[in-house]
Amino acid sequence: MDAFFASVEQKVNPKLRGKPIAVIGSGGRTVVTTRSYEARKYGVKTGMNIYEAKKLCPDLILVVGDNEKYTYTCTELSVIYNRYTPDIEIYSIDEAFLDVTTTHHLFGGPEAIGSSIKKEVKDQFGINCTVGIAPNILMAKLASDIAKPDGLKWVKPEDAETLLKDLPVKELWGIGAATTERLEQLGIRTCAELGKAPVSLLRNKFGIIGEALKHMGQGHCDRPLIFKEEDPKSIGHSTTLAKDTSDREVINAELLKLSSMVGRRARKHGFVGKKVTLTVRYAGFETFTKQTTLQFHINSTHKIYHNAVDILDSIRLVDKVRLIGVSLSQLMRENEDQMALFNDDAKAKSMLKAVDSLNDKFGDFTVMWASHLKTMEPSNVISPAWKPGGVRNINIKK
Amino acid sequence: MKIGEDITVLAAFGMPYRIKPLSFTWSGRTIEIKEVTYTWKTKEGQKDLHHFSVTDGSTLFELTFDAVSLLWKIESVET
Repeated sequence: MDAFFASVEQKVNPKLRGKPIAVIGSGGRTVVTTRSYEARKYGVKTGMNIYEAKKLCPDLILVVGDNEKYTYTCTELSVIYNRYTPDIEIYSIDEAFLDVTTTHHLFGGPEAIGSSIKKEVKDQFGINCTVGIAPNILMAKLASDIAKPDGLKWVKPEDAETLLKDLPVKELWGIGAATTERLEQLGIRTCAELGKAPVSLLRNKFGIIGEALKHMGQGHCDRPLIFKEEDPKSIGHSTTLAKDTSDREVINAELLKLSSMVGRRARKHGFVGKKVTLTVRYAGFETFTKQTTLQFHINSTHKIYHNAVDILDSIRLVDKVRLIGVSLSQLMRENEDQMALFNDDAKAKSMLKAVDSLNDKFGDFTVMWASHLKTMEPSNVISPAWKPGGVRNINIKK
Repeated sequence: MKIGEDITVLAAFGMPYRIKPLSFTWSGRTIEIKEVTYTWKTKEGQKDLHHFSVTDGSTLFELTFDAVSLLWKIESVET
């Protein structure tokens, strides 16, 4: 999708159409999550704080994002994709890879599929998207980046060499600033140079990925699409507090809320975890994590919470806290048949089951710990890892 | 501005829109909808809520339709 969140907001509100807008979180200290193409002309970038953005573009209109609209749209977009192929990887909330190898002949070819999807997206949501078509996802992503906004580009195998000849390596998906800098140290600036570089040189500098980098320079990529989400390695939530604080009562209330969210998601998808990790970011952006490994696997809210609090108790906070996070890792599938060792565990499990089923029926946080009422409003910025299904599908509230 | 009041809505049900609000009465005034600018759906537990962002040409409203109670609400107004 082109400038996804901003495009949705411009479609929702006719007064925003054609104007420079930036979608921001709902917290007081938020950043630009997406900006319209009109705002990009002024140099407004994702991740900028609103003061920097306003300095570059004084007429910039700030719009608090509404994650419910975006997650719904993303889910509906996958319905459109499914009409053309069952082989889909939803890569992020606004990007998807479709393998049409076995279905394109039914729809008049890949280009016809691309055009049809663009039309359906425009007709149904009134927003634009760009389609890149190529023999692999590396080149398809490149084609899409080149064709933005509102474009369609098909890079055929015979076109790859010409396209990559003078293309800077940083334009390739997966080559970031650090890799670009290290390649430059080897005198490699273009994809063609990367493709021709000796494997031994690249291996020496980059280790095991050296050979893969050479292939990327040649426009090759053998990464298959990931159709089915793998079991997660961890389940976690974090929140930027409305204001920096050292107040342990406030921090503990946030920890309880985050532990509830982690526990509920783990129980919903049938996972238990053995490691609890606490993440703290100070006002000065210094961030650290501390973890504890337990003897047993858990997924109950109060056990996650108590372990997170124990970790926090073991730390001497040296500054006010800006962000706090809790995660559960070393996950395994929960064995429902496992009997609880102690009666209290069985009671707690039954209680959580009852709470979960009430929240399933009437909505999240219908039944909650009273301490949740002390929590501050979060900034409510959606994670880029959000997915329309599976364990990364988080019910987003406004 | 948040409102959250029950309202009466004249709507068309059927294809291709499924549900299309045409006008609504709020505070004794009937407002003709010129454009449904966006629609989306949320879940509150098992309950489906259909959201409609609509405009009369000058003001933007958010309406919701509760598929269980069959009631309409005006959720917010943005001038």
